[in-house]
Amino acid sequence: MKVLVAVKRVIDYNVKVRVKSDNTDVDLTNVKMAMNPFCEIAVEEAVRLKEKGIATEIVVVSIGPKVAQEQIRTALALGADRGILVETDEKLESLSVAKLLKAVVEKEQPQLVLMGKQTIDSDNNQTGQMLGALTGMAQGTFASEVAIDGDKVNVTREIDGGLRTVALNLPAIVTTDLRLNEPRYASLPNIMKAKRKPLDVTTPADLGVEVKSTLSLVKVTPPAQREAGIKVADVAQLVEKLKNEAKVL
Amino acid sequence: MKPLTQDALIEQLSAIVGADKVRTDADSLTTFGKDWTKVYEPNPSAIVFPKTTEQVRDIVLLANEYGIALVPSGGRTGLSAGAVAANGEVVVAFDYMNQLTDFNAVDRTVKCGAGVITEQLQTYAEEQGLFYPVDFASAGSSQIGGNIGTNAGGIKVIRWGMTRDWVAGLTVVTGKGDVLQLNKDLLKNNTGYDLRQLFIGGEGTLGFVTEATMRLTRPPKNLTVLVLAIPELDDVMKVLNQFQSSMDLTAFEFFSDKAMRKVLARGDVPAPFESSAEYYALIEFEAVTEADMELSMTLFEQCLEAGWVVDGVISQSETQAANLWRLREDISETIAEWTPYKNDISVVVSKVPPFLRDIDDIVTREYPDFDIIWFGHIGDGNLHLNILKPEALAKEEFFARCNKVSTWVMEVVAKYQGSISAEHGVGMTKKAYLTYTRSEAEIDYMRAMKAVFDPKGVMNPGKLLP
Ligand SMILES: Cc1cc2nc3c(=O)[nH]c(=O)nc-3n(C[C@H](O)[C@H](O)[C@H](O)COP(=O)(O)OP(=O)(O)OC[C@H]3O[C@@H](n4cnc5c(N)ncnc54)[C@H](O)[C@@H]3O)c2cc1C
Ligand SMILES: Cc1cc2nc3c(=O)[nH]c(=O)nc-3n(C[C@H](O)[C@H](O)[C@H](O)COP(=O)(O)OP(=O)(O)OC[C@H]3O[C@@H](n4cnc5c(N)ncnc54)[C@H](O)[C@@H]3O)c2cc1C
Repeated sequence: MKVLVAVKRVIDYNVKVRVKSDNTDVDLTNVKMAMNPFCEIAVEEAVRLKEKGIATEIVVVSIGPKVAQEQIRTALALGADRGILVETDEKLESLSVAKLLKAVVEKEQPQLVLMGKQTIDSDNNQTGQMLGALTGMAQGTFASEVAIDGDKVNVTREIDGGLRTVALNLPAIVTTDLRLNEPRYASLPNIMKAKRKPLDVTTPADLGVEVKSTLSLVKVTPPAQREAGIKVADVAQLVEKLKNEAKVL
Repeated sequence: MKPLTQDALIEQLSAIVGADKVRTDADSLTTFGKDWTKVYEPNPSAIVFPKTTEQVRDIVLLANEYGIALVPSGGRTGLSAGAVAANGEVVVAFDYMNQLTDFNAVDRTVKCGAGVITEQLQTYAEEQGLFYPVDFASAGSSQIGGNIGTNAGGIKVIRWGMTRDWVAGLTVVTGKGDVLQLNKDLLKNNTGYDLRQLFIGGEGTLGFVTEATMRLTRPPKNLTVLVLAIPELDDVMKVLNQFQSSMDLTAFEFFSDKAMRKVLARGDVPAPFESSAEYYALIEFEAVTEADMELSMTLFEQCLEAGWVVDGVISQSETQAANLWRLREDISETIAEWTPYKNDISVVVSKVPPFLRDIDDIVTREYPDFDIIWFGHIGDGNLHLNILKPEALAKEEFFARCNKVSTWVMEVVAKYQGSISAEHGVGMTKKAYLTYTRSEAEIDYMRAMKAVFDPKGVMNPGKLLP
């Protein structure tokens, strides 16, 4: 079974994000970039499927600038077989990404597409769903368990207050949630081997997709600063404050 | 000298700092009467919290008048009982002197009250686009005063040195009660003896540090972490050599498989790889360009080909770098529940391999029934050898047995001209071994120096000097 995994280059999860002083965007100068954590989970799941003998080939695709090759190389070191970079310096919206992925899906004909449920930069949570709509493939979102069963895939989904398991006909799209697995580190010997794995570069034009923007970014503001704590004199005052000020009792 | 009654003592201290800044409740006495060591029972007579250098001076003058023993207390994360008050001393705690002032972007310095938490300084530096490089697992609790008292080292010494290298100037109150401004934050000041250096690593035996001007530097770029699996102890230093001969490292740490298993058993730190080896090295460097990354790969390959290393990982994100660091940084805290007996010993880097072999011989011979945890800042020639207390053994009996073996260990340290305390200081737990590193004549000079700054012996008596 061929598995296609989509990975995005985003600001590192550990970085304290700063907003530009004119509030036009997040400041990305000299900021460490890394693979979106949910995409890491998707790669890990694909590698586990390969280790179980279910997946036969893992193709990893990233859409973004030339440097996004770094994230593809990471995925290759983790166990993917081959990479595709759809190179563009445009700032892409989910719909454009989904259209580009659709073109890649048509070319590669994977049985399973694994992707993150959302990226930690734009937080849209819609690319997987849009790809489902565009391709007509079945979709299982927020996956916390993925089990291939013949020509079906059973996806356990994390929903409010519980779990819900759905069976999808293959080919299908699965978007990953946090508890699906714990991604491994890329080992140094595998990183070196990954250098010899194929990585093809293509462009939106090559794929016959016109990317255009339908919205403009108006304003970015940082979260409000936390106020300093206070010291209470005794338990009675604590209870009083919890009741009357915090209103949690 | 007329001794003060407890009531009179509290009254006099209150007159200096205010009644709300003197504590005698049981909780405070136990909390502020001890550091991270568990060897001595805390027993101070009062805890006092000065807010200014003048108040500290008045406390010292009072102590001189009535022969009161004073214990300087920082974050109490010390590992040699330097901040322990077990004999009715008055503990002077700096928690209220925690202001950062006078930041100077040109000099790249900031003035710290002695009670500024190490992490507070690190965060402050970061907010100014700068970096305070001294770092270790207890940085969230330890104070600049305590760091200066012990000349703290930590995990970045190989590149940025010890606390000493970052102290531009000090305000101290000597044991006699004189307030001195030492070095006036100058980079160049060749006007004779640098008294500042005596208070750094002085463990509060000469006087109190009340303020320190600390230097800051440019922040490192893209710190990248490697963890390598190394089967043979002997090969750890070969790996260090291989890397250091071609690139500048910001850290070179090592730990044993036993140490890592303890951390992994916590369940909140991911394992670096499936394979295991007896030892691991954690290497950190600045990956500024793609070429730096390539070089680290090549060096890894060379170590692999030489057979020193069998596996390795490299951080692909800051999250991964932080998680890999936890494998090393969480060891101390994780093993604390086994009441470890701690050795913090060092030799010059070139002597580490034979030194480790000799130490290994002793501990396998003398502690066949104990769990031994090896880790340390091995790139600095610094080994933390921790002996874990077996559950069934009483604390006293355990420490007595360890002390016996320590004599053997210290003899090896002396043989290699090493230090019996690389970065934790001497305090009370290492005092008996001082002669293995310092000559009698040297110790006599140290005593004479103590007598100059603290003639009445009010400053941290019973610490450091045998
Ligand atoms: C988990 C853990 C990891 C650690 N890792 C490291 C490490 O990697 N490297 C390292 O070097 N240390 C390490 N330590 C030891 C400890 O954190 C350091 O020695 C630290 O510098 C102590 O600072 P403190 O403020 O807690 O000092 P305290 O323990 O309160 O005091 C230390 C000494 O300084 C004196 N002192 C305190 N304040 C003053 C003052 N204002 N004026 C004069 N003297 C004063 C005290 O009397 C005492 O002798 C570690 C400790 C722990 C618990
Ligand atoms: C043209 C010129 C340029 C200079 N540029 C610089 C400069 O850029 N930076 C700088 O720092 N200096 C500079 N100097 C000053 C001088 O060179 C330095 O101070 C140098 O360190 C002195 O070394 P010396 O061997 O000549 O010492 P001396 O002048 O012989 O002695 C200097 C001091 O050291 C003591 N001393 C000498 N030997 C010993 C010993 N074995 N044990 C204990 N004490 C001893 C002496 O008693 C004296 O107090 C310069 C001097 C000249 C003439």
